[in-house]
Amino acid sequence: MDVRDGPRAEVLKYIRDGPRAGPEDFEHLALQVFGYQFSENEPYRRFCERRGSTPDSVAHWSEIPAVPTAAFKEAALVCGGPEQAEIVFRTSGTTQGPGRRGAHYVRDLRLYEAAALPNFQAHVLPDGAHLRMLILGPPLELAPDSSLTWMLARVRREFGTPDSAHFVDDRGLCLEELIAALTESEAGARPVALLGTAAAFAHTVEALDERGRRFRMPPGSRIMETGGFKGRRREISRDELYAMLVEWLGLSELYCVAEYGMTEMCSQFYDNVLRERARGRSPDLRYKVVPPWVRTQVVDAETLEPLPDGRLGVLRHFDLANLDSVLAIQTDDLGVAGDDGFEIVGRAAGSELRGCSIAMDEWLTTQR
Amino acid sequence: MADDTTLDGYWLPISLGRTPLGPELETEERVFGPGHVRLRVADLTPHTLREALVALRNNAHAVLADRPVADIVGTIEAATRRLVEPGAPLREELLSLLPGLTGFSPQMIEIGLERMGAGWTADALRGALRSEFGDLAVLDDFQPRETGGFERAFGPRLTVHVFSGNIPGVSVTSLIRALCVKSASFGKTAAGEPYFAACFARALAEVDAELASCLAVSYWPGGTEDLEAVAFSEAEAVVAYGSDETVRDIAGRMPPQVRFIGYPNRVGAALVSRAALSRKRATALAEGAARDVITFDQQGCVSPHTIFAERGGQVSPLDFARQLAGALEELAGEIPRGTLSPGESTLIHQLRAQAEVRGATVLAGARGTEWTVIVEGRAEFQPSPLNRVIHVCEVEELSQALTALEPVGRHLQTVAVAAEPATLTSLAARLGAIGVSRVVPIGEAAWPAPHWHHDGRFQFLDLVRFVDLEQQAE
Repeated sequence: MDVRDGPRAEVLKYIRDGPRAGPEDFEHLALQVFGYQFSENEPYRRFCERRGSTPDSVAHWSEIPAVPTAAFKEAALVCGGPEQAEIVFRTSGTTQGPGRRGAHYVRDLRLYEAAALPNFQAHVLPDGAHLRMLILGPPLELAPDSSLTWMLARVRREFGTPDSAHFVDDRGLCLEELIAALTESEAGARPVALLGTAAAFAHTVEALDERGRRFRMPPGSRIMETGGFKGRRREISRDELYAMLVEWLGLSELYCVAEYGMTEMCSQFYDNVLRERARGRSPDLRYKVVPPWVRTQVVDAETLEPLPDGRLGVLRHFDLANLDSVLAIQTDDLGVAGDDGFEIVGRAAGSELRGCSIAMDEWLTTQR
Repeated sequence: MADDTTLDGYWLPISLGRTPLGPELETEERVFGPGHVRLRVADLTPHTLREALVALRNNAHAVLADRPVADIVGTIEAATRRLVEPGAPLREELLSLLPGLTGFSPQMIEIGLERMGAGWTADALRGALRSEFGDLAVLDDFQPRETGGFERAFGPRLTVHVFSGNIPGVSVTSLIRALCVKSASFGKTAAGEPYFAACFARALAEVDAELASCLAVSYWPGGTEDLEAVAFSEAEAVVAYGSDETVRDIAGRMPPQVRFIGYPNRVGAALVSRAALSRKRATALAEGAARDVITFDQQGCVSPHTIFAERGGQVSPLDFARQLAGALEELAGEIPRGTLSPGESTLIHQLRAQAEVRGATVLAGARGTEWTVIVEGRAEFQPSPLNRVIHVCEVEELSQALTALEPVGRHLQTVAVAAEPATLTSLAARLGAIGVSRVVPIGEAAWPAPHWHHDGRFQFLDLVRFVDLEQQAE
């Protein structure tokens, strides 16, 4: 292995092998990746050294020091330095102002694609459908540093029909055009895939509700929604959102797939529901599937010690596709682990601040 | 009801048979706090709430109007003794319930009761009233004015209080302020601390049932608009505590003519001059600063978020921060931090890592998130995620601290200061000009004096209206 380049070929192969990859090889590869990152990712090495963790002391992937996502706001956590990056993805930064946006320097988009595309296909298009994609998000040129926008553009190119389209422009959601596209789909009995943020879907169903315009989307139509409800005055729960989607778009909840991803990770997680359905099973539990090249732990929020399945804690991911940044990511997402995956319970950031002392996020928003 | 262990988290004048509410009133059980404490609260409807408010106003008219203030403050002291004196049954109840309701450690609650109680004595209340009115008699009868004629102060016929849940006992102080100016009160409690105010009303009923008939307390989820519309329309004054957003929202729903007093988000800071950072004083200062930080886990509006420490003293800001860390570690054993939700703990871990990667020195408790000191050279006010996270900012000159505080001036309340006595007045003047309303020695931030100007305002004068009796009227 060339240290300067890390176990690139091995990781790429492992990800591309998908379900065929041997679980035992993960262990070995994760430690190799850690060695590479320790050697080539300067701020990460210092982070590890302060914790007394080195490639010599770490014997198992679960011991690899996990970097909290907030650290991506302060340092270029990338092997070889920021100038090596092929693309930089940035967090939206709405809670802490533009100066405090997290940055994920991605050196090798092949890894991103190897992780993102087959995983999307396995969970959103498990039946091999080739659909028109109606994307409730902006085209890449309007949000060039958003990892979600990049992924949706890439997914559209890979799996969408040529007439797939975006329905967000610089003024926001293009509702009229979207309704026209839905009408066309319904009339022509041609199923579509709707992809976008939860906030965009909430906005859409509320608009349909106001107009009393109810659709019955053709069978095979599906939804992939992601992210929170940022920027909305009233938050609604995912259950409420799905109930509204069922009511106003007329598709089964089993065709509503939640994606969970973050700027700081090259891999994503999807609900199991549609995959199960394609296998002819009716899932009784909705959970996020962990791809073969990722390990997810739930840790105690206070001590950061791993918790047994079923206990509420904070999610920590070990993602081989993050070869050139940081393999081990400590999120601020709360969740519960189960046999085959995990459930998300909520986000910690910006919540929970009580009383007459100021809400930090609100303050930062108004001051910066 | 005798064998039912669920306690009442409400108090209505119905309890004295003084309202026609009896058969109509329903109660419900709700679960509060990290300890999942079950309390019975009144299940009010707009109709029953209005009945209760009208009854309160009538009771106050019958009971309070002719009661001398001196008598009222004496009764308040007798009642609050039952909440804070060692061995008193209601105190035991508070000590057993409040940790589960609020998440604060039992040790913190015990200290809180003792310190708050000191502000509820007749002496303390008389002093606070005198500091605002001069002569208390103006609350009892017309008094001659120097400029001729007479004046008398009247409290609101009904004050509606919307409490926040951050600091247990602030609700009681709010009810006491209104009682002192002879106002009936309805207190809407917060989910974060739904019990103390009702307990005070019960204590008051034990010593003076008539006075307690001028109080009502209950809980409903904040923002329940139909109930709040009734409460606000029946009130003469509304006092609201909470986040900027909550206070703004409530202010926007005030009917005309209702006096609104809002206590929104406030933050604190501290300044330590190089003169104060002598080897002799630094340890005591660090200990005092640590007490300011740990008291109610920084949930209070008086709590410091950033300490600005001047370079060039015998003890460097970094060494001062290390001493502060040592004091926090010691206090973590003596007065443990409260229980955090997973979200609160996570915020602290994220912030620690963010600061560390930025190059800050992060001193932190090793077991979990029990305390955190973040030392940096950037002259900037840093808000804390609370729960014993304190920023120490090294500055060349204290004037840099003043510049750093300026942008947050409208949110500032208490600034704790350690400086040479000769410079204190000018420093306080500059802080005042920025927006600060309270300058105190380090170590004293957490416990405002009973006669303080809360957020720079009057505790009692803001509530009352004066009636002028001109001589021609004789």
